[in-house]
Amino acid sequence: MTSNLPSFGRFAEPSLLILVSLSNGPKHGYAIMQDVESGTGRPMGAGTLYAALVRLEQEGLVEALAPVDRRRPYRLSAVGASTLAEHLRGLSKFAQQGLRQLGEPQP
Amino acid sequence: MRALLISLYPDRWRARYGEEFAAVLEERALGPFDVADIVLGALDAQLRLRGVGMQPEPRKGFTMSLRIGGLAAVIGAPLWTSGFMIANGVAGNVDVRIAGAMIVVGSVALLVALAGLSAFQARTQPVLSWAAFTLPAIGTIALVADAIRVASGRDVTDLFYFGLLTFFLGSLLFAIATYRTGVLSRRAAILLGLGPLMALAGGNGDGLPEVLILAGLVSFGLAWVVLGVLAIRADRPTTALGRT
Repeated sequence: MTSNLPSFGRFAEPSLLILVSLSNGPKHGYAIMQDVESGTGRPMGAGTLYAALVRLEQEGLVEALAPVDRRRPYRLSAVGASTLAEHLRGLSKFAQQGLRQLGEPQP
Repeated sequence: MRALLISLYPDRWRARYGEEFAAVLEERALGPFDVADIVLGALDAQLRLRGVGMQPEPRKGFTMSLRIGGLAAVIGAPLWTSGFMIANGVAGNVDVRIAGAMIVVGSVALLVALAGLSAFQARTQPVLSWAAFTLPAIGTIALVADAIRVASGRDVTDLFYFGLLTFFLGSLLFAIATYRTGVLSRRAAILLGLGPLMALAGGNGDGLPEVLILAGLVSFGLAWVVLGVLAIRADRPTTALGRT
């Protein structure tokens, strides 16, 4: 069973970035923000982060772990991992199609 | 300020996320971008809770982003600059109320731009970033007050010039913060900083000073548009592609 990220509306984009960040291990909120910003060069505010986390948690795509020193780490759930994989495969397929049509070499 | 921002969220939300959210907010200095983002996040949380028990509208949601700041800059700067020129008779005999409306709308848009484009600057230059936002925010109130007076048939007062001055100063400070942080474009930051300096050097005289004022306004407007376009490009959505 997978969830549909685009149903998150404006938070689909931040949600995808959060899922990618968690794909290499659990992280607390600030670590997710830093990871996303260093990976994309785009700022992620705490308001956006938690609006997306709330949606992801309610959909069962991420799980909250026990807090450590007031910081609560989150991890990718099994459903979250498969949703992320499906979404990234779709993006990859689209990118390859575009590059093919442009006559550009594909990675 | 952090406690005040967290208090904007619903009780139920704070009970679940409040402590960890407070820990996140304490990690670094908060700038206008962060405050706007948190206020919008609180609005989102309030609206979502009102939808509990009913089917929530999936598209509702508000975020602060470089893209929003960029759009606001691209729209606001030409409006503001054109309004200023019209108010000074550059475009001939145009109703000064139109100029007032353009300046007010342009000012609000530039405030959004200042908030949206200051995300990274505020982390290393928090005082500069807040000053860059606060001065024009005060100036916008003055401009709105004067525009209302002009709309009712009265003359422009010093409030108008105060409002304009705050935008020049705020943009100059934003330019310095942007240059120092090295985000978006240092060249555009220099252009943005030079604009107000040229315009202010022109004073209110004729001849060469008038050319300086015009050059300063063009530099000011162009720099904001360039920064806006760069921000929009930097914040391109990826999930719009390949939706499954």
